[in-house]
Amino acid sequence: MTVPTTATPVAAPAAARRSLPRRSRALLVTPTIVVVTVGLVIVWIRSQDFTAPGRAPEGRALDLGGLLASFGEHVYLVAISTLVVVAISIPLGILLSRPSAGRLGDAVLAFGGFMQALPPFGVIIIMAFSPLGFGAPSAIVALVIASFLPVLTNTVVGLRQVDASYIEAARGMGMSAGMTLRLVELPLAVPVMVAGIRVALVLNVGTATLATFIGAGGLGTPLLSMLKLGRTDAAFAVAALVAALALFVDWLAAVAEQVVRGSGG
Amino acid sequence: MSETTEVTTPGPAGSTTRPMIALEGVSKTYPGQHSPAVEELTLEVPEGAIVMLIGPSGCGKTTTLKMMNRLIEPSTGRIILDGDDVTSVNADQLRRRIGYVIQQVGLFPHMSIGENIGMVPKMLGWDRARIAARVDELLHLVGMEPGQYRDRYPRQLSGGQQQRVGVARGLAADPPVMLMDEPFGAIDPITRERLQDEFLEVQRQVAKTICFVTHDLTEAVKLGDRIAIFGAGGRLRQYDTPDEILTHPADDFVAEFVGGGAAVRRLSLLDLARLQLDEVVVSSGGDPAGRHPVLAVDDAGRPQRWLHVPGQDTPPPLVTVPVGGTVYDAVDEMLNTRAALVLVVDDDGMSRGALRWDALVGDLRAKGRS
Repeated sequence: MTVPTTATPVAAPAAARRSLPRRSRALLVTPTIVVVTVGLVIVWIRSQDFTAPGRAPEGRALDLGGLLASFGEHVYLVAISTLVVVAISIPLGILLSRPSAGRLGDAVLAFGGFMQALPPFGVIIIMAFSPLGFGAPSAIVALVIASFLPVLTNTVVGLRQVDASYIEAARGMGMSAGMTLRLVELPLAVPVMVAGIRVALVLNVGTATLATFIGAGGLGTPLLSMLKLGRTDAAFAVAALVAALALFVDWLAAVAEQVVRGSGG
Repeated sequence: MSETTEVTTPGPAGSTTRPMIALEGVSKTYPGQHSPAVEELTLEVPEGAIVMLIGPSGCGKTTTLKMMNRLIEPSTGRIILDGDDVTSVNADQLRRRIGYVIQQVGLFPHMSIGENIGMVPKMLGWDRARIAARVDELLHLVGMEPGQYRDRYPRQLSGGQQQRVGVARGLAADPPVMLMDEPFGAIDPITRERLQDEFLEVQRQVAKTICFVTHDLTEAVKLGDRIAIFGAGGRLRQYDTPDEILTHPADDFVAEFVGGGAAVRRLSLLDLARLQLDEVVVSSGGDPAGRHPVLAVDDAGRPQRWLHVPGQDTPPPLVTVPVGGTVYDAVDEMLNTRAALVLVVDDDGMSRGALRWDALVGDLRAKGRS
């Protein structure tokens, strides 16, 4: 937030307006925080002397090349799981929002709520004992279970909230049900749907740190090893990187959201 | 019109002009309801006419309208459009041939005005240039400057402007038939009246066959060539010209629905042009004691003031009404200006005759009907 200064009264009416420049400026805050955080972490790692006695494990965990590999695994887990969530939840949400689905939509959303309530940590561990076994596929399935609900809910809600008059006008002018969905309902629901995907992405960045427990890698691996060794400052550095990734992903989604909102209603 | 005698469908006997829309024994019963919303309705809409569907809430007027483009599928009966039985053709294809305008307008908020209007032509496969030309033509028709409005979005328009675009969108592919579901119902009274006038003006140019649902009797009388009054249970109580409905209601229900204001409402059906007006003497100093009002005119022959009005010592101020209006407009002007005598003038401001207050309750005569 801005610190109150003498300029505040003058700035207040301008801030009240939802002008684009102001929103664009808000979008600059997150990348700044991300860049500063990552920069600080790198500077801190560089400043450490890992050749000192007993600091070799830290040196291995915080080796920049190794961290980059973990980061890559992390992004891979998040990207694939989110893609799977989108591929499942959006078509399912469309089906459930059709009037012919009736009450089924509510039932499935309730079941989704139940699945979401399962602790992701437990689900990840249980998945390791499924036929998928240890490794990335199990972790991805667990991430999908943990994050599909927001996308599904927002797809259903986004489509249901499209004003009935638009649909009546569309059908009345001779659009088929499919055309109405494609040309009217989906474009009007997209901002809500993108907001759901944004929530799923951020959830996945956090949950993916648990993937290390079943050998699926990610930034959880260096984080966990530092925690085990009681190296608080090193663990904090890795956690800061996870946070920076979450912020960055959230920012990307926010930009996408603004782009769709800008072109949409 | 139908030189080729392709009487594949049994034509309605005795009708001189072919109906553009015909409902034959159409009923609609919604699932889970005992009584039908519309019962055994047979209705013919002549080509080029505006038919107003009116009645109390829940009388089935909107259901009837939506069965015409099969947004609601009839339970029984047949729908004939321009001679073709369309009861079971592809409903989407059918609706592209029928304009549809609704009260909520329903302009797509993510599309520009031009895209909204061009939607149906696009679905019909028109090329880009033809659609663009049509959009501009229609915006002109509804009184909106294309250059100014084509690329705007619906939320940037007032309610009245949105409904103008709604009408333009309904007309986009030049359908022979327009269905309108209380299009001006949600618009403020002043704008509504203007839109009604513009609508009649547009209809004079496009001459569509129009079905128009309303709950406003004044609107029905003003716009309709014919009025269909529905009673509870979706039964058609009377289907006639506005004049006939106001003067000869078919039953007590219609009489009650039309209400006590019928005589006043009828005034808006009487065009001044059709009226036998009082003679006016144009004077350059003639006999000021005659039986007719005497008018002073300028060099171009335009009325200036009354010189003499029979039965009055000092002539009243001159009040004029345009001949394009109705008796209702003239009475309105009389009451506003407290004038017992108005001069009816044509578009050029020339005198066409006078209308007296006492003639309204006495010997109001129409010219021989043309």
